[in-house]
Amino acid sequence: MHLTEEERQILDGAFGEPQRIALNVLIKLGDAYGAERMVEIASAHIVGSSYQIAGEAGIEIYSKLVEQGAKVKVRTTCDPGSIDFSRWQVFKTPPDYAERQVKIAELLGQMGVIPTWTCTPYTAFNVPRYGEDLGWSESSAVIFANSVIGARTNRLAAYVDVCAALVGRVPRFGLHLPECRRGQVLFEVASELSDNFEDHFFPVLGYFVGQKAGDRIPVINGVQKATLDQLKAFGAAAAASGSVALYHMVGITPEARTLDEAYRGRQPADRTVVGRSEIDNTLEQMNTGDSGAVDIVGLGCPHASIDQMRRYAALLKGKYVHPSTELWICANTVVEDMARQMGYIETIERAGAKLMVGTCHNDCPLGAWNFRRLATDSGKFAYYTPTTVGTKCIFASTEACIEAAIRGRIGSL
Amino acid sequence: MVSNQPFGFWQGLDPLTGTVIDQRHELCGTSLKGKAFFFPYGRGSTGTPGIFLEAVRNACAPAAIVNTKSEPMIVMCSLLAEAFFKVLIPIVDGLEGDPKSILKTGDWVRIDGTTGIIDVISRS
Repeated sequence: MHLTEEERQILDGAFGEPQRIALNVLIKLGDAYGAERMVEIASAHIVGSSYQIAGEAGIEIYSKLVEQGAKVKVRTTCDPGSIDFSRWQVFKTPPDYAERQVKIAELLGQMGVIPTWTCTPYTAFNVPRYGEDLGWSESSAVIFANSVIGARTNRLAAYVDVCAALVGRVPRFGLHLPECRRGQVLFEVASELSDNFEDHFFPVLGYFVGQKAGDRIPVINGVQKATLDQLKAFGAAAAASGSVALYHMVGITPEARTLDEAYRGRQPADRTVVGRSEIDNTLEQMNTGDSGAVDIVGLGCPHASIDQMRRYAALLKGKYVHPSTELWICANTVVEDMARQMGYIETIERAGAKLMVGTCHNDCPLGAWNFRRLATDSGKFAYYTPTTVGTKCIFASTEACIEAAIRGRIGSL
Repeated sequence: MVSNQPFGFWQGLDPLTGTVIDQRHELCGTSLKGKAFFFPYGRGSTGTPGIFLEAVRNACAPAAIVNTKSEPMIVMCSLLAEAFFKVLIPIVDGLEGDPKSILKTGDWVRIDGTTGIIDVISRS
Protein backbone atom coordinates (compact mmCIF):
# COMPACT_ATOMS: atom_id res chain seq x y z
CA MET A 1 0.00 0.00 0.00
CA HIS A 2 1.22 3.50 -0.77
CA LEU A 3 1.82 5.44 2.46
CA THR A 4 2.17 9.18 2.92
CA GLU A 5 5.08 10.72 4.80
CA GLU A 6 2.84 11.29 7.82
CA GLU A 7 1.65 7.67 7.75
CA ARG A 8 5.27 6.46 7.74
CA GLN A 9 5.94 8.63 10.76
CA ILE A 10 2.89 7.20 12.52
CA LEU A 11 4.24 3.69 11.88
CA ASP A 12 7.64 4.76 13.25
CA GLY A 13 5.90 5.73 16.46
CA ALA A 14 6.34 9.49 16.10
CA PHE A 15 2.74 10.08 17.21
CA GLY A 16 2.67 7.52 20.01
CA GLU A 17 1.88 3.86 20.50
CA PRO A 18 -1.95 4.00 20.06
CA GLN A 19 -1.68 5.55 16.58
CA ARG A 20 1.09 3.11 15.61
CA ILE A 21 -1.00 0.08 16.64
CA ALA A 22 -4.13 1.50 15.02
CA LEU A 23 -2.53 2.27 11.66
CA ASN A 24 -0.91 -1.16 11.61
CA VAL A 25 -4.31 -2.86 11.93
CA LEU A 26 -5.80 -0.67 9.19
CA ILE A 27 -2.90 -1.25 6.78
CA LYS A 28 -3.15 -5.03 7.21
CA LEU A 29 -6.90 -4.84 6.61
CA GLY A 30 -6.28 -2.77 3.47
CA ASP A 31 -3.63 -5.22 2.27
CA ALA A 32 -6.05 -8.12 2.68
CA TYR A 33 -8.62 -6.35 0.46
CA GLY A 34 -6.30 -4.80 -2.12
CA ALA A 35 -6.42 -1.16 -0.99
CA GLU A 36 -3.82 1.01 -2.70
CA ARG A 37 -3.81 3.74 -0.07
CA MET A 38 -5.50 5.10 3.03
CA VAL A 39 -8.18 7.79 2.87
CA GLU A 40 -8.85 10.51 5.46
CA ILE A 41 -12.26 10.30 7.14
CA ALA A 42 -14.60 13.07 8.28
CA SER A 43 -15.85 11.13 11.29
CA ALA A 44 -15.97 7.81 13.10
CA HIS A 45 -18.82 6.01 14.85
CA ILE A 46 -17.86 3.20 17.24
CA VAL A 47 -19.84 0.17 18.30
CA GLY A 48 -17.68 -1.25 21.10
CA SER A 49 -19.18 1.27 23.50
CA SER A 50 -21.55 -1.31 24.97
CA TYR A 51 -20.31 -3.61 27.74
CA GLN A 52 -22.35 -6.41 26.17
CA ILE A 53 -20.14 -6.18 23.08
CA ALA A 54 -16.82 -5.03 24.55
CA GLY A 55 -16.83 -7.04 27.76
CA GLU A 56 -13.69 -7.30 29.88
CA ALA A 57 -11.52 -7.55 26.75
CA GLY A 58 -12.78 -4.11 25.72
CA ILE A 59 -12.07 -2.60 29.13
CA GLU A 60 -8.55 -4.04 28.95
CA ILE A 61 -7.97 -2.64 25.44
CA TYR A 62 -9.40 0.82 26.19
CA SER A 63 -7.52 1.05 29.54
CA LYS A 64 -4.25 0.32 27.78
CA LEU A 65 -4.96 2.85 25.03
CA VAL A 66 -5.89 5.54 27.57
CA GLU A 67 -2.74 4.79 29.57
CA GLN A 68 -0.74 5.34 26.38
CA GLY A 69 -2.44 8.70 25.85
CA ALA A 70 -4.87 7.75 23.05
CA LYS A 71 -7.06 10.58 21.69
CA VAL A 72 -9.45 10.40 18.74
CA LYS A 73 -8.31 12.48 15.77
CA VAL A 74 -11.72 13.05 14.13
CA ARG A 75 -15.27 13.60 15.36
CA THR A 76 -16.21 10.28 16.98
CA THR A 77 -19.61 9.29 18.32
CA CYS A 78 -20.62 6.10 20.11
CA ASP A 79 -23.34 3.47 19.81
CA PRO A 80 -25.79 2.65 22.64
CA GLY A 81 -24.37 1.40 25.92
CA SER A 82 -25.69 -1.59 27.84
CA ILE A 83 -27.53 0.51 30.43
CA ASP A 84 -29.79 3.54 30.63
CA PHE A 85 -27.26 5.68 32.53
CA SER A 86 -29.85 7.55 34.58
CA ARG A 87 -32.48 4.82 35.00
CA TRP A 88 -30.69 1.46 35.01
CA GLN A 89 -32.39 0.41 38.25
CA VAL A 90 -35.79 0.83 36.57
CA PHE A 91 -34.70 -1.75 33.99
CA LYS A 92 -33.39 -4.13 36.70
CA THR A 93 -29.78 -3.97 35.51
CA PRO A 94 -27.45 -5.65 38.05
CA PRO A 95 -25.32 -2.95 39.80
CA ASP A 96 -21.98 -4.67 39.06
CA TYR A 97 -22.93 -4.80 35.37
CA ALA A 98 -23.85 -1.09 35.38
CA GLU A 99 -20.52 -0.33 37.04
CA ARG A 100 -18.59 -1.98 34.18
CA GLN A 101 -20.56 0.06 31.60
CA VAL A 102 -19.77 3.26 33.53
CA LYS A 103 -16.09 2.25 33.39
CA ILE A 104 -16.29 2.00 29.56
CA ALA A 105 -17.96 5.43 29.45
CA GLU A 106 -15.08 6.93 31.46
CA LEU A 107 -12.45 5.39 29.19
CA LEU A 108 -14.17 6.50 25.97
CA GLY A 109 -14.58 9.98 27.46
CA GLN A 110 -10.84 10.13 28.16
CA MET A 111 -10.18 9.35 24.50
CA GLY A 112 -12.44 12.22 23.43
CA VAL A 113 -15.44 10.21 22.18
CA ILE A 114 -18.71 12.20 22.12
CA PRO A 115 -21.11 10.30 24.44
CA THR A 116 -24.07 10.09 22.06
CA TRP A 117 -24.98 6.47 23.05
CA THR A 118 -27.09 6.08 19.96
CA CYS A 119 -27.40 3.94 16.84
CA THR A 120 -28.73 7.03 14.98
CA PRO A 121 -25.74 9.42 15.28
CA TYR A 122 -26.88 11.04 12.01
CA THR A 123 -29.79 12.74 13.83
CA ALA A 124 -27.42 14.90 15.90
CA PHE A 125 -23.72 15.68 16.26
CA ASN A 126 -22.48 13.35 13.53
CA VAL A 127 -24.26 14.28 10.31
CA PRO A 128 -22.29 13.17 7.22
CA ARG A 129 -22.29 14.93 3.87
CA TYR A 130 -22.79 13.38 0.42
CA GLY A 131 -19.59 11.80 -0.89
CA GLU A 132 -17.70 12.09 2.41
CA ASP A 133 -15.50 9.18 3.52
CA LEU A 134 -16.30 7.84 7.00
CA GLY A 135 -15.11 5.13 9.39
CA TRP A 136 -18.33 3.84 10.89
CA SER A 137 -19.59 0.68 12.56
CA GLU A 138 -23.20 -0.13 13.60
CA SER A 139 -24.82 -1.83 10.65
CA SER A 140 -28.00 0.29 10.70
CA ALA A 141 -26.03 3.56 10.79
CA VAL A 142 -23.60 2.40 8.07
CA ILE A 143 -26.45 1.52 5.70
CA PHE A 144 -28.18 4.86 6.42
CA ALA A 145 -25.02 6.94 5.85
CA ASN A 146 -24.19 5.10 2.60
CA SER A 147 -27.67 4.82 1.12
CA VAL A 148 -29.77 7.73 2.35
CA ILE A 149 -26.99 10.34 2.55
CA GLY A 150 -24.53 9.04 -0.05
CA ALA A 151 -21.52 9.15 2.31
CA ARG A 152 -18.94 6.36 1.94
CA THR A 153 -18.07 3.79 4.57
CA ASN A 154 -17.46 0.08 4.76
CA ARG A 155 -18.98 -1.83 7.67
CA LEU A 156 -16.18 -1.47 10.20
CA ALA A 157 -16.23 -3.52 13.37
CA ALA A 158 -15.69 -3.04 17.10
CA TYR A 159 -12.11 -1.76 17.81
CA VAL A 160 -11.31 -1.34 14.10
CA ASP A 161 -13.61 1.70 14.32
CA VAL A 162 -11.52 2.95 17.27
CA CYS A 163 -8.36 2.44 15.18
CA ALA A 164 -9.94 4.55 12.41
CA ALA A 165 -10.87 7.25 14.96
CA LEU A 166 -7.32 7.34 16.42
CA VAL A 167 -5.61 7.95 13.05
CA GLY A 168 -8.50 9.63 11.18
CA ARG A 169 -8.11 7.25 8.26
CA VAL A 170 -9.38 4.00 6.79
CA PRO A 171 -7.99 1.80 4.00
CA ARG A 172 -9.57 2.82 0.69
CA PHE A 173 -11.39 -0.24 -0.67
CA GLY A 174 -14.97 -1.46 -1.11
CA LEU A 175 -17.62 1.22 -0.70
CA HIS A 176 -15.05 4.06 -0.68
CA LEU A 177 -14.57 3.40 -4.41
CA PRO A 178 -17.33 4.83 -6.65
CA GLU A 179 -17.10 1.80 -8.99
CA CYS A 180 -17.88 -0.53 -6.07
CA ARG A 181 -21.15 1.24 -5.26
CA ARG A 182 -23.20 0.19 -8.27
CA GLY A 183 -26.35 -1.89 -7.76
CA GLN A 184 -25.87 -5.65 -8.12
CA VAL A 185 -29.29 -7.19 -7.64
CA LEU A 186 -32.71 -5.81 -8.57
CA PHE A 187 -35.90 -5.97 -6.50
CA GLU A 188 -38.96 -4.87 -8.42
CA VAL A 189 -41.89 -3.96 -6.16
CA ALA A 190 -45.07 -5.08 -7.93
CA SER A 191 -47.72 -2.43 -8.52
CA GLU A 192 -50.28 -4.38 -6.42
CA LEU A 193 -47.95 -3.55 -3.53
CA SER A 194 -46.49 -0.16 -4.44
CA ASP A 195 -49.91 1.43 -4.98
CA ASN A 196 -50.73 0.93 -1.32
CA PHE A 197 -47.37 0.57 0.41
CA GLU A 198 -48.08 0.64 4.14
CA ASP A 199 -45.67 2.04 6.73
CA HIS A 200 -44.83 -1.36 8.26
CA PHE A 201 -43.99 -2.84 4.84
CA PHE A 202 -40.66 -0.97 4.92
CA PRO A 203 -39.01 -3.17 7.58
CA VAL A 204 -40.62 -6.28 6.05
CA LEU A 205 -39.26 -5.43 2.60
CA GLY A 206 -35.87 -4.71 4.21
CA TYR A 207 -35.88 -8.11 5.92
CA PHE A 208 -36.75 -9.83 2.62
CA VAL A 209 -34.15 -7.89 0.62
CA GLY A 210 -31.43 -8.58 3.22
CA GLN A 211 -32.06 -12.32 3.12
CA LYS A 212 -31.90 -12.42 -0.68
CA ALA A 213 -29.10 -9.91 -1.26
CA GLY A 214 -26.67 -11.14 1.44
CA ASP A 215 -23.66 -8.85 1.08
CA ARG A 216 -24.53 -7.58 -2.42
CA ILE A 217 -25.87 -4.11 -3.23
CA PRO A 218 -29.63 -4.23 -3.86
CA VAL A 219 -31.57 -1.83 -6.09
CA ILE A 220 -35.22 -1.40 -5.11
CA ASN A 221 -37.50 -0.14 -7.83
CA GLY A 222 -41.17 0.73 -7.47
CA VAL A 223 -41.37 2.37 -4.05
CA GLN A 224 -43.07 5.69 -4.73
CA LYS A 225 -42.17 7.67 -1.63
CA ALA A 226 -40.51 7.16 1.73
CA THR A 227 -39.83 9.19 4.87
CA LEU A 228 -36.45 9.20 6.62
CA ASP A 229 -37.91 6.99 9.35
CA GLN A 230 -39.14 4.49 6.77
CA LEU A 231 -35.73 4.40 5.07
CA LYS A 232 -34.12 3.94 8.50
CA ALA A 233 -36.44 1.01 9.27
CA PHE A 234 -35.90 -0.57 5.85
CA GLY A 235 -32.11 -0.33 6.08
CA ALA A 236 -31.85 -1.58 9.65
CA ALA A 237 -33.80 -4.72 8.71
CA ALA A 238 -31.75 -5.36 5.53
CA ALA A 239 -28.47 -4.87 7.43
CA ALA A 240 -29.59 -7.37 10.10
CA SER A 241 -31.09 -10.17 8.01
CA GLY A 242 -28.28 -9.82 5.43
CA SER A 243 -25.01 -7.91 5.52
CA VAL A 244 -26.26 -5.13 3.27
CA ALA A 245 -24.19 -1.94 3.71
CA LEU A 246 -25.62 0.06 0.80
CA TYR A 247 -28.91 0.00 -1.10
CA HIS A 248 -30.30 2.12 -3.88
CA MET A 249 -34.02 2.99 -3.91
CA VAL A 250 -34.80 4.37 -7.33
CA GLY A 251 -36.12 7.94 -7.30
CA ILE A 252 -35.53 8.20 -3.56
CA THR A 253 -31.85 7.73 -2.60
CA PRO A 254 -29.21 10.15 -3.97
CA GLU A 255 -27.14 7.72 -6.06
CA ALA A 256 -30.23 6.31 -7.79
CA ARG A 257 -32.18 9.15 -9.33
CA THR A 258 -32.86 6.69 -12.18
CA LEU A 259 -32.58 2.93 -12.59
CA ASP A 260 -29.61 3.45 -14.93
CA GLU A 261 -27.78 5.56 -12.39
CA ALA A 262 -28.28 2.84 -9.75
CA TYR A 263 -26.63 0.23 -12.03
CA ARG A 264 -24.05 2.62 -13.44
CA GLY A 265 -24.58 1.19 -16.88
CA ARG A 266 -24.31 -2.50 -16.03
CA GLN A 267 -27.68 -4.18 -15.66
CA PRO A 268 -27.70 -6.81 -12.90
CA ALA A 269 -28.58 -10.35 -13.94
CA ASP A 270 -30.49 -11.15 -10.80
CA ARG A 271 -34.06 -9.79 -10.62
CA THR A 272 -36.74 -10.53 -8.01
CA VAL A 273 -40.34 -9.36 -8.11
CA VAL A 274 -41.79 -8.53 -4.68
CA GLY A 275 -45.54 -8.84 -4.37
CA ARG A 276 -48.05 -9.41 -1.64
CA SER A 277 -47.09 -13.08 -1.20
CA GLU A 278 -43.38 -12.24 -0.64
CA ILE A 279 -44.43 -9.74 2.05
CA ASP A 280 -46.77 -12.28 3.68
CA ASN A 281 -44.14 -15.06 3.65
CA THR A 282 -41.54 -12.74 5.19
CA LEU A 283 -44.00 -11.64 7.87
CA GLU A 284 -44.48 -15.29 8.74
CA GLN A 285 -40.71 -15.73 9.20
CA MET A 286 -40.44 -12.60 11.33
CA ASN A 287 -43.12 -13.90 13.67
CA THR A 288 -41.77 -16.64 15.90
CA GLY A 289 -44.77 -16.36 18.22
CA ASP A 290 -48.54 -16.68 17.76
CA SER A 291 -51.17 -14.16 18.69
CA GLY A 292 -52.02 -13.94 22.38
CA ALA A 293 -50.62 -12.36 25.55
CA VAL A 294 -47.58 -10.11 25.16
CA ASP A 295 -45.36 -9.15 28.10
CA ILE A 296 -43.03 -6.67 26.40
CA VAL A 297 -43.53 -4.25 23.53
CA GLY A 298 -40.35 -2.72 22.10
CA LEU A 299 -40.32 0.44 19.99
CA GLY A 300 -37.48 2.69 18.89
CA CYS A 301 -35.16 0.31 17.02
CA PRO A 302 -33.21 2.04 15.59
CA HIS A 303 -33.57 4.85 18.13
CA ALA A 304 -36.81 6.81 17.70
CA SER A 305 -36.87 10.21 15.98
CA ILE A 306 -38.86 13.19 17.24
CA ASP A 307 -41.50 12.41 14.57
CA GLN A 308 -41.89 8.90 15.95
CA MET A 309 -42.13 10.23 19.52
CA ARG A 310 -44.97 12.49 18.41
CA ARG A 311 -46.71 9.50 16.84
CA TYR A 312 -46.31 7.34 19.99
CA ALA A 313 -47.62 10.17 22.18
CA ALA A 314 -50.66 10.64 19.93
CA LEU A 315 -51.45 6.91 20.05
CA LEU A 316 -50.99 6.75 23.84
CA LYS A 317 -52.83 9.93 24.78
CA GLY A 318 -55.42 9.18 27.44
CA LYS A 319 -54.70 5.41 27.27
CA TYR A 320 -53.07 3.04 29.75
CA VAL A 321 -50.56 0.28 29.16
CA HIS A 322 -51.91 -3.06 30.40
CA PRO A 323 -50.69 -3.86 33.95
CA SER A 324 -49.05 -7.15 32.90
CA THR A 325 -47.32 -5.64 29.85
CA GLU A 326 -44.27 -3.40 29.55
CA LEU A 327 -43.96 -0.81 26.76
CA TRP A 328 -40.41 0.45 26.28
CA ILE A 329 -39.47 3.18 23.82
CA CYS A 330 -35.76 3.57 22.97
CA ALA A 331 -34.27 6.92 21.99
CA ASN A 332 -31.18 9.09 22.37
CA THR A 333 -30.77 12.00 24.77
CA VAL A 334 -31.25 14.65 22.09
CA VAL A 335 -34.63 13.29 21.04
CA GLU A 336 -35.51 12.72 24.71
CA ASP A 337 -34.85 16.37 25.49
CA MET A 338 -36.91 17.63 22.53
CA ALA A 339 -39.74 15.19 23.28
CA ARG A 340 -39.80 16.38 26.89
CA GLN A 341 -40.07 20.01 25.82
CA MET A 342 -42.87 19.07 23.42
CA GLY A 343 -44.80 17.32 26.21
CA TYR A 344 -44.63 13.92 24.46
CA ILE A 345 -42.76 12.26 27.31
CA GLU A 346 -45.32 13.37 29.86
CA THR A 347 -48.05 11.76 27.73
CA ILE A 348 -46.02 8.60 27.17
CA GLU A 349 -45.10 8.19 30.84
CA ARG A 350 -48.59 9.02 32.06
CA ALA A 351 -49.81 6.09 29.95
CA GLY A 352 -47.40 3.83 31.86
CA ALA A 353 -44.82 3.37 29.08
CA LYS A 354 -41.10 3.61 29.86
CA LEU A 355 -38.55 5.67 28.01
CA MET A 356 -35.23 3.83 27.59
CA VAL A 357 -32.42 6.26 26.77
CA GLY A 358 -28.97 5.54 25.38
CA THR A 359 -29.50 1.80 25.16
CA CYS A 360 -32.08 -0.73 23.91
CA HIS A 361 -33.62 -4.15 24.49
CA ASN A 362 -30.87 -5.78 22.41
CA ASP A 363 -28.03 -4.26 24.41
CA CYS A 364 -29.31 -4.53 27.99
CA PRO A 365 -29.19 -7.59 30.26
CA LEU A 366 -32.89 -8.45 30.68
CA GLY A 367 -32.56 -11.80 32.48
CA ALA A 368 -34.37 -10.51 35.59
CA TRP A 369 -37.57 -9.84 33.60
CA ASN A 370 -38.27 -13.37 32.29
CA PHE A 371 -39.90 -11.99 29.16
CA ARG A 372 -41.46 -14.65 26.94
CA ARG A 373 -43.25 -12.77 24.17
CA LEU A 374 -42.13 -9.53 22.63
CA ALA A 375 -43.99 -7.43 20.07
CA THR A 376 -42.08 -4.93 17.95
CA ASP A 377 -42.41 -2.79 14.84
CA SER A 378 -38.69 -3.22 14.07
CA GLY A 379 -37.33 -5.69 11.53
CA LYS A 380 -33.95 -5.56 13.27
CA PHE A 381 -35.45 -6.38 16.69
CA ALA A 382 -37.48 -9.16 15.06
CA TYR A 383 -34.24 -10.65 13.73
CA TYR A 384 -32.19 -10.36 16.94
CA THR A 385 -34.47 -10.52 20.00
CA PRO A 386 -35.23 -14.26 19.79
CA THR A 387 -31.53 -14.76 20.66
CA THR A 388 -30.63 -11.56 22.58
CA VAL A 389 -33.70 -11.39 24.79
CA GLY A 390 -34.64 -15.05 24.40
CA THR A 391 -38.29 -14.32 23.64
CA LYS A 392 -40.76 -15.31 21.01
CA CYS A 393 -41.22 -12.32 18.73
CA ILE A 394 -44.26 -10.88 17.05
CA PHE A 395 -43.70 -8.25 14.38
CA ALA A 396 -46.51 -5.76 13.78
CA SER A 397 -47.16 -2.17 12.71
CA THR A 398 -46.47 0.64 15.20
CA GLU A 399 -50.22 1.09 15.74
CA ALA A 400 -50.74 -2.64 16.35
CA CYS A 401 -47.80 -2.72 18.79
CA ILE A 402 -49.18 0.14 20.87
CA GLU A 403 -52.64 -1.42 20.74
CA ALA A 404 -51.06 -4.67 22.00
CA ALA A 405 -49.42 -2.81 24.89
CA ILE A 406 -52.78 -1.35 25.88
CA ARG A 407 -54.72 -4.64 25.54
CA GLY A 408 -51.91 -6.83 26.88
CA ARG A 409 -52.32 -9.13 23.92
CA ILE A 410 -51.94 -9.11 20.18
CA GLY A 411 -54.17 -10.47 17.44
CA SER A 412 -52.71 -11.84 14.25
CA LEU A 413 -51.66 -9.09 11.87
CA MET B 1 -13.95 -28.66 13.49
CA VAL B 2 -15.71 -28.71 10.12
CA SER B 3 -19.10 -27.28 9.21
CA ASN B 4 -20.82 -26.44 5.95
CA GLN B 5 -23.05 -23.87 7.66
CA PRO B 6 -22.15 -20.15 7.88
CA PHE B 7 -21.25 -19.00 11.38
CA GLY B 8 -21.58 -15.79 13.38
CA PHE B 9 -19.43 -15.36 16.49
CA TRP B 10 -21.76 -12.63 17.79
CA GLN B 11 -24.49 -14.60 19.57
CA GLY B 12 -22.91 -17.78 18.23
CA LEU B 13 -20.03 -18.32 20.66
CA ASP B 14 -19.82 -18.24 24.44
CA PRO B 15 -16.55 -16.31 24.92
CA LEU B 16 -16.05 -17.63 28.45
CA THR B 17 -15.89 -21.30 27.36
CA GLY B 18 -15.44 -21.34 23.57
CA THR B 19 -18.69 -23.33 23.17
CA VAL B 20 -21.07 -22.78 20.24
CA ILE B 21 -24.37 -21.44 21.64
CA ASP B 22 -26.33 -20.68 18.45
CA GLN B 23 -29.22 -23.12 18.72
CA ARG B 24 -29.82 -22.99 14.97
CA HIS B 25 -26.25 -24.18 14.25
CA GLU B 26 -25.21 -27.82 13.78
CA LEU B 27 -22.18 -27.34 16.06
CA CYS B 28 -24.29 -26.06 18.99
CA GLY B 29 -22.85 -27.42 22.24
CA THR B 30 -19.39 -28.23 20.87
CA SER B 31 -16.22 -26.31 21.68
CA LEU B 32 -14.12 -24.33 19.20
CA LYS B 33 -11.38 -23.68 21.77
CA GLY B 34 -7.96 -24.33 20.22
CA LYS B 35 -9.48 -25.95 17.11
CA ALA B 36 -8.88 -25.23 13.44
CA PHE B 37 -12.36 -24.12 12.44
CA PHE B 38 -13.47 -24.72 8.82
CA PHE B 39 -16.74 -23.07 7.72
CA PRO B 40 -17.92 -21.48 4.47
CA TYR B 41 -18.29 -17.83 5.51
CA GLY B 42 -18.95 -15.65 8.52
CA ARG B 43 -22.04 -13.66 9.16
CA GLY B 44 -23.03 -11.14 11.68
CA SER B 45 -22.97 -7.94 13.52
CA THR B 46 -20.29 -5.26 13.59
CA GLY B 47 -19.95 -6.24 17.26
CA THR B 48 -18.33 -9.56 16.22
CA PRO B 49 -14.77 -8.67 17.38
CA GLY B 50 -16.19 -7.88 20.82
CA ILE B 51 -17.10 -11.53 21.36
CA PHE B 52 -14.09 -12.84 19.48
CA LEU B 53 -11.53 -10.87 21.51
CA GLU B 54 -13.25 -11.80 24.75
CA ALA B 55 -12.71 -15.44 23.72
CA VAL B 56 -9.07 -14.67 22.83
CA ARG B 57 -8.57 -13.02 26.21
CA ASN B 58 -9.96 -16.16 27.91
CA ALA B 59 -7.82 -18.46 25.71
CA CYS B 60 -11.05 -19.96 24.28
CA ALA B 61 -10.83 -18.81 20.65
CA PRO B 62 -10.27 -21.11 17.67
CA ALA B 63 -6.58 -21.64 16.79
CA ALA B 64 -7.14 -21.00 13.07
CA ILE B 65 -10.00 -20.25 10.67
CA VAL B 66 -10.45 -21.49 7.09
CA ASN B 67 -13.29 -20.18 4.89
CA THR B 68 -14.47 -20.40 1.32
CA LYS B 69 -14.91 -16.61 1.58
CA SER B 70 -13.58 -14.64 4.55
CA GLU B 71 -15.65 -11.53 5.08
CA PRO B 72 -13.81 -8.47 6.47
CA MET B 73 -15.40 -9.05 9.89
CA ILE B 74 -13.48 -12.33 10.35
CA VAL B 75 -10.24 -10.84 9.04
CA MET B 76 -10.60 -7.92 11.43
CA CYS B 77 -10.98 -10.35 14.38
CA SER B 78 -7.61 -11.92 13.60
CA LEU B 79 -5.84 -8.56 13.07
CA LEU B 80 -7.19 -7.27 16.38
CA ALA B 81 -6.19 -10.41 18.29
CA GLU B 82 -2.62 -9.86 17.12
CA ALA B 83 -2.62 -6.09 17.74
CA PHE B 84 -4.16 -6.09 21.21
CA PHE B 85 -3.47 -9.56 22.67
CA LYS B 86 -0.38 -10.69 20.68
CA VAL B 87 -2.23 -13.87 19.74
CA LEU B 88 -1.77 -15.09 16.17
CA ILE B 89 -4.85 -16.71 14.60
CA PRO B 90 -4.26 -17.47 10.91
CA ILE B 91 -7.20 -16.95 8.55
CA VAL B 92 -7.11 -18.79 5.22
CA ASP B 93 -9.58 -17.77 2.55
CA GLY B 94 -10.53 -19.33 -0.78
CA LEU B 95 -11.20 -22.93 0.23
CA GLU B 96 -12.71 -24.61 -2.84
CA GLY B 97 -15.97 -26.44 -2.34
CA ASP B 98 -17.91 -27.66 0.65
CA PRO B 99 -15.56 -27.89 3.68
CA LYS B 100 -17.14 -31.25 4.57
CA SER B 101 -16.20 -32.77 1.21
CA ILE B 102 -12.53 -32.07 1.99
CA LEU B 103 -12.15 -32.69 5.72
CA LYS B 104 -13.98 -34.19 8.67
CA THR B 105 -14.25 -33.03 12.25
CA GLY B 106 -11.44 -34.76 14.13
CA ASP B 107 -8.86 -34.66 11.32
CA TRP B 108 -5.51 -33.08 12.19
CA VAL B 109 -4.17 -30.30 9.98
CA ARG B 110 -1.20 -27.95 9.83
CA ILE B 111 -2.12 -24.44 8.63
CA ASP B 112 0.35 -21.90 7.31
CA GLY B 113 -1.35 -18.51 7.34
CA THR B 114 1.39 -16.88 5.28
CA THR B 115 1.37 -19.25 2.29
CA GLY B 116 -2.23 -20.41 2.77
CA ILE B 117 -1.07 -24.05 2.57
CA ILE B 118 -3.02 -26.59 4.62
CA ASP B 119 -1.43 -30.02 5.25
CA VAL B 120 -3.57 -32.91 6.40
CA ILE B 121 -1.50 -34.70 9.06
CA SER B 122 -3.90 -37.48 9.91
CA ARG B 123 -7.49 -38.43 9.20
CA SER B 124 -9.84 -39.32 12.03
